[in-house]
Amino acid sequence: MNLTLVFLFRKGRLRPVFALLILLIFSGCNPFSRGGDDKVFRVNLSTEPPSLDWSLATDHASFNVIANLMVGLADFDKSLKPVPIVAKSWNVLERGRRIVFHLRDDLTWSDGKKVTAEDFEYSWKRLLDPKTASQYAYILFDIVNAEEFNQGKLADADQVGVKATDERTLEVRLKHPAPYFLSIATFEVTYPQRRDVIEKHGTKWTDPENIVTNGPFLLASWKHENEIQLKANPNFFLGKPAIETVEMYMITEKTTSLALYEQGKLDFLDNYSIPTLEKPRLSKGPGFRRVPQLRGEYYGFAVDRKPFDDVRVRKAFAMAIDRSVFPRILHGGEQPATSWIPPGMLAHNPKIGLTYNPPEARRLLREAGYPEGKGFPRVTVSYNTLEHHKLVAEAIQGMWQRNLGVVVQLENQDWKVYLKKLETDPPPVFRSGWGADYPDPDNFMKLFTSLSGNNHGRWKSPRYDELLEEAAREMSEKKRIRLYDEAQKILCETEVAIMPLFVVVESTVLNPRFTGLEYNSMSRMVLRHVRPKKVSSEK
Amino acid sequence: MIRFLAKRLLHGLAVLWVVVTLTFVLLRILPGGPFDSERRLPPEIMANIQAKYHLDEPWLKQYARYLAGVAQGDLGPSYKYIDRTVSDIIKDTLPTSTLLGVLALVFAVVLAFPLAVAAAAYHNRWADRGCVFLATLGISLPHFLLGAALIWVFSLKLGWFQAARWGSPDSAVLPTITLGAMPCAYFTYLLRSSLLETLGEDFIRTARAKGLKEPFVLFKHAVRNSLIPVLTLLGPLFATLVAGSFVVEYVFAIPGMGRFFISAVTDRDYPLITGVTLVYTAILVCANLLVDMCYSLVDPRIRVR
Repeated sequence: MNLTLVFLFRKGRLRPVFALLILLIFSGCNPFSRGGDDKVFRVNLSTEPPSLDWSLATDHASFNVIANLMVGLADFDKSLKPVPIVAKSWNVLERGRRIVFHLRDDLTWSDGKKVTAEDFEYSWKRLLDPKTASQYAYILFDIVNAEEFNQGKLADADQVGVKATDERTLEVRLKHPAPYFLSIATFEVTYPQRRDVIEKHGTKWTDPENIVTNGPFLLASWKHENEIQLKANPNFFLGKPAIETVEMYMITEKTTSLALYEQGKLDFLDNYSIPTLEKPRLSKGPGFRRVPQLRGEYYGFAVDRKPFDDVRVRKAFAMAIDRSVFPRILHGGEQPATSWIPPGMLAHNPKIGLTYNPPEARRLLREAGYPEGKGFPRVTVSYNTLEHHKLVAEAIQGMWQRNLGVVVQLENQDWKVYLKKLETDPPPVFRSGWGADYPDPDNFMKLFTSLSGNNHGRWKSPRYDELLEEAAREMSEKKRIRLYDEAQKILCETEVAIMPLFVVVESTVLNPRFTGLEYNSMSRMVLRHVRPKKVSSEK
Repeated sequence: MIRFLAKRLLHGLAVLWVVVTLTFVLLRILPGGPFDSERRLPPEIMANIQAKYHLDEPWLKQYARYLAGVAQGDLGPSYKYIDRTVSDIIKDTLPTSTLLGVLALVFAVVLAFPLAVAAAAYHNRWADRGCVFLATLGISLPHFLLGAALIWVFSLKLGWFQAARWGSPDSAVLPTITLGAMPCAYFTYLLRSSLLETLGEDFIRTARAKGLKEPFVLFKHAVRNSLIPVLTLLGPLFATLVAGSFVVEYVFAIPGMGRFFISAVTDRDYPLITGVTLVYTAILVCANLLVDMCYSLVDPRIRVR
């Protein structure tokens, strides 16, 4: 304390201030109420949504806002099957080459205008327009002339196979039968858009004062990097949501968001807001849920170079991994997997793949010329810098050393540097993963076709390509399952281009005062059924 | 004085140009592009995106286009935050960072002065050792640790302050302390050692011999003559604090500009990185200019030319 302060304190002039401070300290006063308003629901988005323009959005934060502002032609039911929402029905004609969507006539935009088939036609053509430069344009490439229009080879948008034949009918012509196309119609990038709004406001059309939406909530405010506020849409055709206001915060630090949840300042946290090490504790409390995702993690091989050009070596490495370890080290309830198509998706088959079998793995490695790992070249395992990738890599490094006698080097890199390396010079063993855009095996399996940009290991199998091509055009589910089974066996068992490791499981925690929140296996948070527990039914 | 200002402004513009050029070149050398993602895009889609942002043009053309934009006050579009321009983002976030930075600076200076004066006045006694201990603690504790500890104690355990988010006055308390702790510690160290040196000078002995009271000797003579090193530190520190702190903004969920110094690099958002670097450099140049002008106020022997 400096001399002046000592002087003032001795004279008694600072004593009231000091007394007030002490009073504040020991009264334990808490300026915040711990309860909360039943009409307000607060969630953490983790990050600023990069875009609320659903033709340009690519990330889960943006889609989680959009999914509550808008509805599209189809939605998922509980088993992830597409069911009509804006469409009241659809007809699949000409053996899957033509789909006609019939729209409801009681759905309006937030400014009172009717949602029409033209709004869909405009939105889909905008997504495909090369000037929009949408990253997800390829999702509609099954439509006649869509790819040519996106590549700029075709200037006339009228030749693209999507057309509003009248106000309530949307006709889509496909290049070939695509059994998964109805699943694509659930994806946010296919939601309708208003030409007049976008043309009037340009890039600012998603600002709260300009945006026009048709979903259960309306965008009330957007304080960038801070908070988005949604208000219940009183004219939503399925009824006004029970909660009046949704506050979406952008807190990136997980311990901070958990602190706010525990203070009663947040009502819902998703996996991106829960610190990994807190999951076991939270799992014992109320409101905790684990949601298996349509997302798989795998290690791939550079199959065009030694030593992994030998399938026996790839098999030995895959059989030397005890996948039951991952949920224990990652604390997220991960589901060990030896096959690639995840549970919850058509053609998931847990019996496919190479299971943990160290003696057989050693035998195969010996047969390949590396008895007990002797003479095995120096091999690097690469992953992008993230704590849980490191834990997985270290666990696998230990297993290979114990079970095969092979010592591998670990290498981690910044995400973008890592992606560039995968593209230009893939490491001998590399980590990667994939999350579904739409819940169909086509979206998961075509990653590894010969010409796929995501086939980092440069593996090529003409038979695999044929099977995928056939399965993508086959309308019978039974036949598709058979085709995907065969393809998965080639990918994970006979050729072992990849070693699936586990299916990602996300943890969520919901304030026990609320119920009705749906969090699906593609990380979408659906809020329209959320209500306080004491309210018995929705309005 | 006008000549001095004009010269320094020209000098500042040259610094800004060098910084923009270096940032532009370094970003292009860095492996990984802004639109690389886990889903590798088909080449035709990547071509559309590159054409939209002129990334398909030669570097020199891109550089000329960027400089022409900057000269007209247009810092370009953000590659990550698609609907916003870099100017929008800076306009939205810089005021918050500046407010927090000024609060932290005021906190640091207000606390550092009495601590340093007490430490110098009671050299080698408990007050001095206590201040030195606190200053060492302030320098050694990283922001993320101090921030987390403050949240745990004052928010979770005592419930006095909001754990995070920005908006109300109480939400500023913990981030201000976290951000201000380290500069406060530096100021305390610097002012204490400068004061100790000044207190050993002949003119202080003369003042005491004249019978001046100790507080008068300290505040009138010693403190003023010890301020030069503190002022030197103040310029760059001011720029660093008002441009935002990644860690403090991250821990307390503050909608400031500091987070972009890291996240924009991770995202390879070239215009955003260049934009925030440009703003930071401009603040630094201005702060240093102000400090140079303040020297002559504190010590009339220093003249600006």
